[in-house]
Amino acid sequence: MKWPFSLAGIGFVLAIAVVFRSGTNVHAQAPDPDPKHNREVTFNRDIAPIMFQSCARCHRPGESGPFPLLTYDDVKNRARQIETVTHSRFMPPWLPEPQALKFADELRLPDEQIASTKKWVDEGAPEGNPADLPPQPKFAEGWQLGQPDLVLKAATPYQLPASGSDMYWNFIFPVAIDRTRWVKAVEIRPGDKRFVHHANVLVDRQQNSRQKETQPGSGFEGMEIKIESETFDPDSHFLFWKPGTVPYVEPEGMALRLDKGTDLVLNVHLQPSGKPETIQPTIGLYFTDQPATKFPMLLQLQNDAKLDIPAGEKNFILNDDLTLPIDVDLLAIYPHAHYLGKDLQASATLPDGSTTTLIHIPQWDLNWQAVYRYAQPVFLPRGTTVSMRYVYDNSEDNALNPNHPPQRVQGGNRSKDEMAHLWLQVLPRNFDPQAGDTRMLLQEALARHNIRNNPADFAAHYNLASVLQARGNAAEAITEYEEALRIRPQDATANNALGAALIASGQPDRALAPLQTAARTSPEYFDAHYNLANALASAGDFAGAAQEFAAAVRIRPDDADAHANLGSALAELGRFAEAKAQFERALEINPAHLLARENLQQLQSAMGNR
Amino acid sequence: MICRHLQQMVKGQRHEKGRFLSTLLFLALCPAICPAQKTVLDLDGKNVNPLQSSAKQLVVLMFVREDCPISARYAPTIQHISDQHQKDARFYLVFPDKSESPAGIRKYLSDFRYSIPVLRDPDRVLVKQAHAQVTPEAAVFDAKGALVYHGRIDNLYESFGHARSAPTTHELEDAIEAALAGRAPSNKEVAGVGCYISDLP
Repeated sequence: MKWPFSLAGIGFVLAIAVVFRSGTNVHAQAPDPDPKHNREVTFNRDIAPIMFQSCARCHRPGESGPFPLLTYDDVKNRARQIETVTHSRFMPPWLPEPQALKFADELRLPDEQIASTKKWVDEGAPEGNPADLPPQPKFAEGWQLGQPDLVLKAATPYQLPASGSDMYWNFIFPVAIDRTRWVKAVEIRPGDKRFVHHANVLVDRQQNSRQKETQPGSGFEGMEIKIESETFDPDSHFLFWKPGTVPYVEPEGMALRLDKGTDLVLNVHLQPSGKPETIQPTIGLYFTDQPATKFPMLLQLQNDAKLDIPAGEKNFILNDDLTLPIDVDLLAIYPHAHYLGKDLQASATLPDGSTTTLIHIPQWDLNWQAVYRYAQPVFLPRGTTVSMRYVYDNSEDNALNPNHPPQRVQGGNRSKDEMAHLWLQVLPRNFDPQAGDTRMLLQEALARHNIRNNPADFAAHYNLASVLQARGNAAEAITEYEEALRIRPQDATANNALGAALIASGQPDRALAPLQTAARTSPEYFDAHYNLANALASAGDFAGAAQEFAAAVRIRPDDADAHANLGSALAELGRFAEAKAQFERALEINPAHLLARENLQQLQSAMGNR
Repeated sequence: MICRHLQQMVKGQRHEKGRFLSTLLFLALCPAICPAQKTVLDLDGKNVNPLQSSAKQLVVLMFVREDCPISARYAPTIQHISDQHQKDARFYLVFPDKSESPAGIRKYLSDFRYSIPVLRDPDRVLVKQAHAQVTPEAAVFDAKGALVYHGRIDNLYESFGHARSAPTTHELEDAIEAALAGRAPSNKEVAGVGCYISDLP
């Protein structure tokens, strides 16, 4: 028997763009102590190195920048524009304030470079001595890491309309692999980079997102998508693309597991260009033969239940904190809010009482949201409290307020709703597979924290139940599943999980009702039919069991267990010929299937004896 | 054409006194619409003056630039507003960048499905008359040729990279409506967000 063990609601979610705040982005320029700035600033000596280092990765042909910044003419013809956008720090896009903990690949221009740029423009943008010009930067053409081991291409291009507001579109990529593979790097090529603002890959291990497509391969609209997982398989990696992203190769020991039948879902944020555009992304996968030995986890702080912002409120503050039950290394951080978000901050208070800023974004801009990786892993010992403090502006002063005039806004998945999410990628220390997956302890802490924040949080009760179930605490798991079902009585996944837990704890009779609900509300749900069949068989109802196993076989014709069990139920009913065919089918799929082999032998001797 | 003729006369003068007089004459006869030797061109390279026409109509100039993404994003809006007013105003797309070729502009028009007459303004004649600062930007001249509005089309963009989900003010359309009704628009100028024309070669 199999009892699927399910976790829902840890889907990785993303969202929409842009927040402007007037009057707060004045970066006072410190007096320049460097006397070299009293001499002439030239393109060749002073400006070209800045452009090549910080701008050209995107501002070159074929990339996201709307114009190249590779030559004197390119830059001179944008001189005032460049001066303006560097001074306001709109470009290069880098939202976090400087802080003690450094990020990898920081794009923030030093103040003195901004000052040089201004001086250069003010003085008429002179070219200077050709001998001073550094060589143009070299960038890899095509796939940045070489030819991928597997290239996935969107089945159906998306036609982006010429005008309208921002669009969020999802492409589903079935991963054509015949066995489990470990992924060392993912390169996302989102299509024409000028129109894709960011993109994010979600791992859909159960092909759940396909239900959202109107026809296979069509893709579907939606800003924040949530993917349910049926095993303890917490999201572990940020798979994120924004303009200028260099594909990230996982460090030693870390890799993303992809199984046969897994889908990747690419969520892209598109901006209309003024003419219709065709977007057809591709994803390149780079495999490794080394299975992962280190297993990070994405932890999400959120307090959406408290996110209820009155119309006109300029300074709505939302806090949340989580105390870590184990030692971890923090690898990366991803703050996320929508249009009303203004000032986003996260910090860690260590057990010794000291506090460190993890990230501070004083002018949140959804357009430039990003995953920030730390230059070095940040050790957070057990007992550390991670805190988030997000400030929202729901007044008319916030130009990006999607409501005009402002309206009350609550937490939700639509771009008009708000979010207060903080994702942390953490790697548990002292990971010992023998001692069980310590990420369960993080998951449990997170679920209990979410229940404290919001007792009506279905996913939190469900996830807590799943952790308890995995730990063998069936009684408490059943209680938590029942709590989840009080919130969503018809939820197929929770009904199925409760049924599975009841069977596991020797109460197949009590399992019947929830499993029947699961199979009824979700007729294509393999696990529900399979588990219901088992419960019926335990109760001696072999006719009912045969019927449910037959339903399971219809849904997954290649499942050897389902065929073998169907054979057993048919044998119990004395329908030996049909039973024999099922055992044979099971053995055809899996020649080593022990139950099928033993039952077939027994059946053959029983039939021979007649 | 009268201006060009007069210029030749100025050049042809050899006596100090005569030159002085001729220059005065030139200034008197040629108001701002005919600056010396600076020309506005159509895509065939012919000189055009969009503000000098027998049809006493509103003239709306829309300054755009091929490589400006904000200009591009406004293409459907610009075409739509001109469609709305085809009977009561003459619209022109104006490309102020010297380096933009007629062939490149034709491709741009076809890509963005424009059907508005096009002018090239490499000498910034119209830019000066319209006080245009960025692309995209609009200028509305009344039937007498007076500039009654110049600036942004609407407030879709709050600043670089910061677009609203939809504009909440529509300065260009308001100015056109006001001019048609013989009123002064409520704003005479509102700065636009876009690509600086002063950067152009």
